[in-house]
Formats: sequence, structure tokens, C-alpha cells
Amino acid sequence: MSLAQALFMGLLQGATELFPVSSLGHAVLIPSLLHWSFKQSDPSFVPFLVLLHLGTAGALLFVYRTQWVEIIRGFFTAALRGRIERPSERLAMLLVVGTIPAGILGVFLEHQLKSLFASPQAAAIFLIVNGLLMLGFEGLRRRAEARVAPAAKSRVEQEESFAAAEQISFKAAALVGACQGLALLPGISRSGVTIGGGLVAGLRHQEAARFSFLLATPIIGAAGVLEIPQLLSTTVPLAEYVAAAVLAGLAAYLSARFLLRYFRSGRLDPYGWYCAAAGAISLALLTFRP
Amino acid sequence: MKGNSLAVGLVVLAVVFLLLAGLYYEGVIQVFVSDPQSKHHTSHAILFSVLAIASLIGANFARAKRAA
Repeated sequence: MSLAQALFMGLLQGATELFPVSSLGHAVLIPSLLHWSFKQSDPSFVPFLVLLHLGTAGALLFVYRTQWVEIIRGFFTAALRGRIERPSERLAMLLVVGTIPAGILGVFLEHQLKSLFASPQAAAIFLIVNGLLMLGFEGLRRRAEARVAPAAKSRVEQEESFAAAEQISFKAAALVGACQGLALLPGISRSGVTIGGGLVAGLRHQEAARFSFLLATPIIGAAGVLEIPQLLSTTVPLAEYVAAAVLAGLAAYLSARFLLRYFRSGRLDPYGWYCAAAGAISLALLTFRP
Repeated sequence: MKGNSLAVGLVVLAVVFLLLAGLYYEGVIQVFVSDPQSKHHTSHAILFSVLAIASLIGANFARAKRAA
């Protein structure tokens, strides 16, 4: 992998990890469509992905640094007391409950699913499915809006009728967390399904995005940290990879800031249409190219 | 009474998870592992350790609820 390719992949991963468009799907599809020669089965590719994930997790930690201090403090206080008294304690426990199903699915099924569906064609098909899921989530949300806030005059007013992340039930948090398991399929977006799950659970768009990003941090960070030994045991161009990871972190930081602002009144629809179109075009190119 | 038996059940579950963590770490269990040749399955061991801690926290919640 050349330096330019490494930097491009860093930028791509950092941006698409948080946008509901599937980073894994793009990481499988784009090199294949551009006829790049590097192999994703190469031993040096895993350490590369590890560093990119650490860059993204670092950016998310930075975006929510104050909240993470509160969440960690809330976790220990509530765990030792055996009772939840403050919103930050409830959020900490919701994140624990949401992270466990994703952790179980990730540890037990990641290898099997990745080896089953690692082809660009499968990624294109799942990208179309991801688009349809986003549109479906918004369809369900519009129904809920018609029921909950029929008299709302603006989108912001409409959004205010829905809940903050701290207010969802533990069952809903577990379901949103389990949705993350779907993202093991290349083309299905982790942030997309968790934001969608949050919307179905009755969260405001911005709160669903916040919950999704908070939920992502331990999973992405742990996946990165667990693979560090591989990074140290393989001969890799470390400087190039670190530069790509910094770029991934920067892209993830800007993406998070943009999305949190966008979801004050924005919806998942544009990303749904993008995924459906990008998946269909990619599938056509992969099928009919000479 | 219900809270107490739930707490005990969760403590038992925590012990089971800890045992599984140890067995995965030592490579005794090879179920759903990516590399059966590997001596240690660290990620599985960490997962079961986390589940054990979560079960203990759950037990503490059940105990405190009963006491309240």
C-alpha cells in the first residue's frame, strides 16, 4: 500500500465510521472498484485497520471527553452502591447493557461472518440493504411523529417530543446494542443501525446519534487495543500507518461534530438513498466491468 | 426473597463466566474461535471476564433492591 493509498483509506475510514454509510462496506468496495492491488488478506492490513480504529476511538473520546469522565464516575458509583440515582449513572449502565450484546456477537461471530461475506459483491448488496434499513427506520419514525407530535410547527419542535439518551429503557439499550452485531456484515453501518434503533426506541435524532457514538467508543477502542500485539509482531510501515490513523481521527472528529449538528433537525433519508444508490451502482460495476 | 435468589443466581453465573474465561485463556475451549492453533484466546477470555463483572454488578443491584 502506497502512502497516498494509506492516507486515503484513513480519511475514508474516519469519515465513514460515524456517517451511517458503513465504513467496512466502503473499505471493501472502493479499493476493489479502483483496482488497487493491495490485498486485504495481507498480514499487514489488520494492523493498519487497528491503528485506524484507534484513531477513530481517540476522536470520539475527545468529542465526549467531559461526558466520559461523568460516565466512568457514574459507572463506579452506581455499581458499588447497587442503585442508580443520577442521569450519568443511568447512561453508564445503559452503555454497559448496550455494549455486552455487541461484544458477544463481535467476539464469537466476527471471524466467521467476515470470511463468509468479505467479497465486494456481498458488500454492495448489504449496502443496498443498509439504505433500505435507513429509509425503513425513518418511515417508522414519521409514523411515530404523526402520533406523538401531530401539531408540531417545525422539525425542532417535533424532535423535542422525543426522549434523551438517558431516558430509554434497558431493554431498548440492549436491543440497540445488539443491532451493532449487524454491522459485522460489510455494507451494514454500525452507526446507521444504532441510530435507527435509537429512533425506534423513541430517542431524538441528535440523542440517537449521541448514544450511538458513545456506544461505539468502547467497542471500537477495545477492538483496536486487543489487536495491538499484532501491530507489534508484524513488520509494518509504522510512520505511514500512524499518519493514516491521525487522518482517520481528524475525519472522525469532524464527522461527529457535523453529524451532531445535522441531526438537530436532519434525518437518515439522504444516507439511506446514498447507500441504496452506491450499492446498486457498485454492484453493476462489479458485475459488468470487463 | 426474589431479589435474594436473583442475586445468588447472578453470583453463580459470575463464577461460571470466570471459569469460562480461564478455560478460553488456557486454550482448553476452542468453540467459535478464529484461530484454533492459538495457545490463548485473549478476546474470549476478556469477554467472559467482563460478563462476570457485569453479573456481579447485577447481583449487587438485586441485593440493594431487596434491602431497600
